[in-house]
Amino acid sequence: MPETTTRMVLAGEGGQGVQAIAEILAEAANEEGRQALYIPNFGVEQRGGVSVAFLQISDHAIGSPKFLKGDIVAALSERAVHRTATYAGPETIFIYDSAMEGVEDDLPKDAARVIPVPAMEVAKEEFHPRVYNMVIMGALVGATAVVTLDQAKAAIEKRLGYKFEKKPQLRDLNFKALERGIEMGRGAEGGIN
Amino acid sequence: MTEAPVIEEKRVFMTGNEVVAWAALAAGADIMYGYPITPQNEVMHYWSRLAPRYGRNFLQTEDELSAGFATTGGVMAGSKAFTATAGSGSVLMQEPMAMAEMMRLPTVTVVQQRGGPSTATVIYSQQEVTLTTMGGNGEGIRVVYSTAGHQDLYDYTIKAFNIAWKYRFPTFVLGDGYQAKMREPLTIYDPERRGIKLLQPDPFVGGEGEPGRDRPPAQYRNTYNLEEELYEKIMSDMREFEENSADIAEYESRHTEDAELVIIAHGIVFRAVREAVDNLRRQSLSVGAFRPVTLRPLPGGQIKELAARVKKILVVESAYGQIARLVKEKVCGAACEIYSMFKPGIGIAAAEVEMRAKEILAKQ
Repeated sequence: MPETTTRMVLAGEGGQGVQAIAEILAEAANEEGRQALYIPNFGVEQRGGVSVAFLQISDHAIGSPKFLKGDIVAALSERAVHRTATYAGPETIFIYDSAMEGVEDDLPKDAARVIPVPAMEVAKEEFHPRVYNMVIMGALVGATAVVTLDQAKAAIEKRLGYKFEKKPQLRDLNFKALERGIEMGRGAEGGIN
Repeated sequence: MTEAPVIEEKRVFMTGNEVVAWAALAAGADIMYGYPITPQNEVMHYWSRLAPRYGRNFLQTEDELSAGFATTGGVMAGSKAFTATAGSGSVLMQEPMAMAEMMRLPTVTVVQQRGGPSTATVIYSQQEVTLTTMGGNGEGIRVVYSTAGHQDLYDYTIKAFNIAWKYRFPTFVLGDGYQAKMREPLTIYDPERRGIKLLQPDPFVGGEGEPGRDRPPAQYRNTYNLEEELYEKIMSDMREFEENSADIAEYESRHTEDAELVIIAHGIVFRAVREAVDNLRRQSLSVGAFRPVTLRPLPGGQIKELAARVKKILVVESAYGQIARLVKEKVCGAACEIYSMFKPGIGIAAAEVEMRAKEILAKQ
């Protein structure tokens, strides 16, 4: 059965930038001429602190904005792990930040792969905590190849270009964080259930 | 005269509320009257940002009753006026829109459905179907388009103005909170460059010359003294509505020719159905999909014909039987079995529809 749609659920605390990641990936896919549908926070997630973004990228017309299981589910906080567990099925790649402690028991048991990514650590040690979402976005792009590096960069430029104009070193910082994330996403082995 | 916006034909990626504002601009709308309610707020926000650039206007009123009546007033003065609302706001909007029905005023109202009844949720539903199609204290002399995404929102918002001014029926574009808030690509365009002639609004009142001498007097009534008078008026409007129904009604159908089961859905839910039907077809299951695009008037002939031909019909909606009630009225008397999947106030995924369809196909 042809399956060309990538369905993603990204969840984290307000301020971690999950909505920005989803929007940038959606814009990048759209710029490539593909179909993309992004919707923030529907269902029970509308209220209650955890910010959830639903994203679909496809070569065909996208169906309903709602789906039952994601191909990629990324949880960036403990609460987000709980909240997104329902979207993980047997074909899901589940990505979480390895800086979180005590979430082992809550990680999905039947996901295809569960991948810890040390994004927070890398952002802090190698770059700046503020580019955390770039590292995560890179990890998602690395794990899925859902958009190309160039398109991801172009979409970031479109969104943050006005800031880069004022401080050109920010461009470099963001792009390097993105590339480092991609490296991590590509190399991630993860536990295979 | 207002300056025409230059809308280059291009692919854009935006939220549905932004799409509505651009479409109203492209349709030549002169003014929006509105009162904030989630999830339609950004229609107002984007419109009030775009309007001053192109000499258009915006007025925030004190509530939806006022927004609706101001819209009817704008129309009578010769403006292409529109409003947008949702949920409890749609309930209040019925009073002015019933007057628009009575006075045959070409108002355009965009509804982004949220959960109901009452305040319920700010998110999404398909629970404003009965209200939008039949909400007034009358016979539902109105046109309702149910959109299934951003291209529809653009195309049908433009079309709504033309249909309203052509037939003088209040016209509604029925979206929902998902369409309002989600982002997806669509192509925006200048309708006139695509050969769509935009109808020009004429003032209903305040014309040149002395009424009764230089021109017929303008008399638009919502009050009648005699039963017979009212009866004549309503019967004449209904005849006109019914005579034009077949021309106004629109639908979309997919794989229905040889289907054992046809799934009927409208709006965004049709996208889940379309996806489910494509998946089921790949599994060699004999399933089709039918979508009424106009919920009022409903494409009744096509639904009747479908019901006479297929064995089973499944109605899927994010409400507890609102579109099903309209469909059943058309199907009445046919031998087909009717099944339902009602999920009031919650989104529906393709995989759920697929499972329900398989269950129904397995029944003997």
